[in-house]
Amino acid sequence: MATPKDTSQHGTSTEGAPRWIGPIVMTGVAIASAVLAMAFPAESREGSRMWVAARLHHEIYVPAVEEWNQAHPLQVHMTLLGTQAVEQRMLSAFMARTPTAELVEVERRPAARAFAGPIDSVGFLDLTERLRADGLLETINGPSFTPWTSRGRIFGIPHDVHPVMLGYRADIVEAAGIDVSQIETWDDFARVLGPLMLKPDGTKRDDRFLLNMWDAGAHIDVMEVLTLQAGGGLVDERGVPTLDHPANARVLAHTMSWAFGPDRIAADAPYFTASGNKLLVDGFVLASFVPDWMCNIWRKEIPQLSGKVKLMPLPAWERGGRRTSVWGGTMLGISRDAKNPDELWEFAKHLYISPERARDLFVQGDIISPVRAFWTDPVYDQLDPYFCNQARGRLYVNLAGEVPQRYNSPFSALALLRMQACMTKLAAYARTSGDGTAERLLPEARRLLKEAQSDIMRHVKRNRFFVEETGLTFTDAGEVAR
Amino acid sequence: MSTPAPTTSSTPVPGRVAFAPWLLLAPFFVLFAVFTAYPLIGSLWLSTRQTFGPGASKGVGMGNFSQLLQDPLFWRALRNTLVFTLGSVLIQLPLSLLLAMALNRPNLRGRAVLRLIMFAPVLVGVVFVGMMFSVIFEKRTGMLNQLLHSVSGWNLDFPWLETYVMPALIIATLWQYVGFNMVYFLAALQNVPQELDEAACMDGAGVLSRFRHVVLPAIRPVGTFVVLLSIIGSFQLFELPYILFNATGGPDNRGLSLVLYLYQCGFQTGDLGYASAIGWAMAVVLMGCAILQRVVSAKGEAA
Repeated sequence: MATPKDTSQHGTSTEGAPRWIGPIVMTGVAIASAVLAMAFPAESREGSRMWVAARLHHEIYVPAVEEWNQAHPLQVHMTLLGTQAVEQRMLSAFMARTPTAELVEVERRPAARAFAGPIDSVGFLDLTERLRADGLLETINGPSFTPWTSRGRIFGIPHDVHPVMLGYRADIVEAAGIDVSQIETWDDFARVLGPLMLKPDGTKRDDRFLLNMWDAGAHIDVMEVLTLQAGGGLVDERGVPTLDHPANARVLAHTMSWAFGPDRIAADAPYFTASGNKLLVDGFVLASFVPDWMCNIWRKEIPQLSGKVKLMPLPAWERGGRRTSVWGGTMLGISRDAKNPDELWEFAKHLYISPERARDLFVQGDIISPVRAFWTDPVYDQLDPYFCNQARGRLYVNLAGEVPQRYNSPFSALALLRMQACMTKLAAYARTSGDGTAERLLPEARRLLKEAQSDIMRHVKRNRFFVEETGLTFTDAGEVAR
Repeated sequence: MSTPAPTTSSTPVPGRVAFAPWLLLAPFFVLFAVFTAYPLIGSLWLSTRQTFGPGASKGVGMGNFSQLLQDPLFWRALRNTLVFTLGSVLIQLPLSLLLAMALNRPNLRGRAVLRLIMFAPVLVGVVFVGMMFSVIFEKRTGMLNQLLHSVSGWNLDFPWLETYVMPALIIATLWQYVGFNMVYFLAALQNVPQELDEAACMDGAGVLSRFRHVVLPAIRPVGTFVVLLSIIGSFQLFELPYILFNATGGPDNRGLSLVLYLYQCGFQTGDLGYASAIGWAMAVVLMGCAILQRVVSAKGEAA
């Protein structure tokens, strides 16, 4: 029986083919596949694409987009995508310089990521001059621009203001004969509503606390809301983290004292969850933080609270202090590579800066417009049966001018994570120290925030691009020269 | 009866170039080159650069790796991942083997149904498992606290997810994958030569002795494979902490895994270079685990 001939010594395979034929065949297949793929390009429609991540916004925009498409040659095709999908597709396209939607509606944190890097490489069109030329810088509420501003340039039209109020169980509070108009500060809040607490030991199903605040979940966002209200925040106007701001330490100490101190007033009814909603219905917590958009969520997801809740301005950190803050936010940006930027700009204004849309936004979405001129619209004076016939819109509008400046940075997400770590550590300290009063927690809060600030500044200092772009300088001690 | 004549196509013709094997192999190699080799090389190159957003990239040599060595969060994430891996392997695999042995008994009634029940959690997505366990471990409304409260007046506000971060992750993974590994062991157990077992039994060997000297050597190759698979799977821990702790590392970063930290650096902070360095560090650790596992396994076989 003949054995197979070993031809490997002669530069050919066992079947007599030369060795070089393999790479040649594979390259040929690769080229043929590429040619075939290119012969069938992706289906492209005439007009411009727009990505929206919020279902509610999509519903509100549908008639406006149809109206635009009927009257203009540039057709806009709007697509509803998941928040993550918009973010990943947008950032991938910006990084790889591949086509993306010409119009993208995006939230604050993904936008911050898109603003990273040299200013001329940001994937969104710089809208500063267009906003100025059309007088929108004066017309739109100032603080609504800051999340969409990077190094003095504005990359999006703001969609909202999102002032924050407290939503409280009016049925319980008023039955006890308590008048919330006596409440001006957070200390007043604890004192005036204190008698409604059902002293908790965690073993009764009918425990009752005054405030929905904890050290985890969406309460991290609430922490940012409160630090902004107190004059602090996560980053400054240059985008540099400011975790060690004195106002942040004060808020951190107070909130963790509320949740874990001897005079506990706060408990966890997790936001955006069925269990949290049930706890609100049960009256486990009397008051929660409610930005304008959350009214819509409450109305749809917690109908049991209809006619039982009311809104009040946030208690201030000191007498005469700020009675609101800000939570959430969306912008509409135009891709830098868009073919028809002028027409898209007109479309963006049609969608965001028109009195009809502003009215739709409030009626269907409970969101007040950032355009100050529209705030006189009688639609905001409508009484809302869900909130015990309060003129909900007017309450938010009255606070809209007080909304704090809230800056944005690629380091915002990291700063928020570090803030969360500080909350957890201080909560543990409050539990174990035996004296969790705000005064006692304040030095520890300062220490933790300082530590977190140094940690995050290591990342900032390491980032040559950010340091160069922002012109940051450092002191001999390695701290940012402010 | 005539035998079929051999087809001419299978007979190599001297001097004729054989395209067919290369053509058949080409799709794999092309896909491998485009989707595996190129990204691997790309990520290695990226790990030597600092990136910041779409348009900023500068070479930093080994800077990312030296930064990693000084990064407390990286070490935290590595430690968490190793603890999770150890917890998963040391608890999950013996449990899987025990289950497999229990369900391998031929006289067990409803064996097929029990096997299906044990395997069923694998069919559920990790995201769903994360959401389910967050409902179970929830403070006031969570199933566990409610149950314990009804039975013993337990503290309704006991924060399971804040107190027992790593055990929560291990338990959720255990629930999902114990049945999956059980199937591997079940297949291995069915290949244990019965005559050897019977012979050992006749020689007076007890249950433990038979397990140690007959069953264990027979299932060793599968066991080795399952250990390696579990280690790799554990190092990929991402979705569970992402869901349970809202895209963060959980309280005091006790649930921060390497992949979650990689995600945070790459996609939340925008430094893809640093994220790539984390990925390569993880690959090195995994290769170390694989080599160690091979060495231990080889020693076991030699013994």
